[in-house]
Amino acid sequence: MAEAVTPLRQGSGTGLAAACLLGPAAVLLIAFYAIPFLRMITESLAPANAGAGWMGMSVEHFERLASSGRVQRAFTRTLRISGWATLITLVISFPLALYLVRAGRTIRTAFLIALFVSLASSLIVRNYGWLVTLADAGPVNRLLIALGFLNAPLRMVYSEGATIVALVHYAIPFMTLPIFAALLRIPSSLSDSAASLGAAPWRVIRDVIWPLAMPGVFGGVVLTFALSMSAFVTPLMLGSPATAMISQVAAEQFLVQLAFPFGSAIVVALVLITFLIVVVFTLIVRKVFRAQV
Amino acid sequence: MRRSEWIENPLERLIAIAGWAAMLFLLFPVVFTTVVSFGAGELIEFPPSGWSLRWYAHIGEIHRVGAAVLYSLLIASCAGVIATLLAVGVALCLVRLPVPGKALIGALVTSPVAVPIVALGIALIQFFIWLGISFTWYSLLIGHLVLVIAYPVRTLVASLSLSNPALEEAAASLGAKPLVAFFTITLPQMKPGLISGFLFAFLISFDNYPISIFLVRGALTVLPIEVFNYISQNFDPTPAAFSTIYTLLLALVIVWAERRWSIISLSVASEGGPGGKRSDR
Repeated sequence: MAEAVTPLRQGSGTGLAAACLLGPAAVLLIAFYAIPFLRMITESLAPANAGAGWMGMSVEHFERLASSGRVQRAFTRTLRISGWATLITLVISFPLALYLVRAGRTIRTAFLIALFVSLASSLIVRNYGWLVTLADAGPVNRLLIALGFLNAPLRMVYSEGATIVALVHYAIPFMTLPIFAALLRIPSSLSDSAASLGAAPWRVIRDVIWPLAMPGVFGGVVLTFALSMSAFVTPLMLGSPATAMISQVAAEQFLVQLAFPFGSAIVVALVLITFLIVVVFTLIVRKVFRAQV
Repeated sequence: MRRSEWIENPLERLIAIAGWAAMLFLLFPVVFTTVVSFGAGELIEFPPSGWSLRWYAHIGEIHRVGAAVLYSLLIASCAGVIATLLAVGVALCLVRLPVPGKALIGALVTSPVAVPIVALGIALIQFFIWLGISFTWYSLLIGHLVLVIAYPVRTLVASLSLSNPALEEAAASLGAKPLVAFFTITLPQMKPGLISGFLFAFLISFDNYPISIFLVRGALTVLPIEVFNYISQNFDPTPAAFSTIYTLLLALVIVWAERRWSIISLSVASEGGPGGKRSDR
């Protein structure tokens, strides 16, 4: 079967063309991405005393990581915050995506633009928005006092809860857009025929729409979880040292303690743990929903 | 779903309410920040007890704001343009050439956004110190390039996949040279991908804090770092004024780009926005 011949592929210079097109990006990423990362991994395996260890490698920084209470607490906290943030984001975003599919043209465009502006907006600006919203004299406190739920302002900022709220706010576009894209691909005839066969509306959503939207849901969930696991600016702005997430602890090792090998070990552990959770989650979704994700 | 079902069906009503509630949640911080930015008081309060524009004038008081804006514009423009140019090559190669290992190449190019950004900053600063080029503007630019290149690759692959290679074949069979065909047929079809790819690369770079905090020292500074420092040391509404201007400009650019090039439809068609590839494993 003859493949379409595009002008780019004419002649025998395919290999050369590919090298020219890919070359610059490949050089950039190998020199300033692959090599620095490999160096960081070797750094995390470097023994504290030069010449010690097996073949010049040692897992002592990882042992120290496993025995450090502060690092362990930060890991547990990061997992807990990421789990909650992902769950809440899904609960908010799925109905939003369902509504986007149903809404008229004007509302849909307006909502999509809002989601896009939010996505493209500055993270610092968005987090600052929550510092204002949850401030002692901010709208939420004023409302709760006016309604009689509180007598005095409640300190809401600089806490784990505020961090989760801001992470959810950050992740909503990342969750909603893939789900919306998946929903758009479901032919409306499917839900119509399910309904005409007598399925109640909520059953149509549960048994027809939800499984078919699974690729989008999966993408959004993995993305939100990974973003939360590696969150840095958000807990820095809305949390406190007592609610530090793992990226902060790693950064502190570099910027304050100047402990490069230990900091590298924390980062390597974070990448590995996130990766492992995503792989397990993928296997579960494949098994339970039989979805191609 | 037909429109009439909307009113009658309680579930449809529930979805509409949940959709609007989610949108309000998304918009509230922006609205509150805007209102607070016009307050007269020394501290953040809502609703403000008086009104003034003085916090807008006060933006100039953010430490080294002039230099920071210039550096940020320089780095973000260079990162956006260079990343988009490099991405054109990668996207053409991935979509139009029969190269082996496409999945691997695609994964490598788009993976920098999947690793923790702090990890990227940490790996790079160790490397730059080793090379002896740390804390220079070009090492900062390199760091940003690595981070942002995935976005134009993704949008360009999307717009190339949507475009029609038959048009290029037609041009070729009518005698157009490959380069002529590229500039007259292929490039215009890539335009939405070029625009939104550049836009996102620029914005991600312009807003980046976690990489810059490691790569910036001394005279070199960028806007997110100075704004962040101001927010952590002061409690007056100056950052609210800054945020209002930032969000307004951004909204104008996005609406304009959507009107002109339908960048949103492109991103939804390519599944989940330019950030969607962050999940790549």
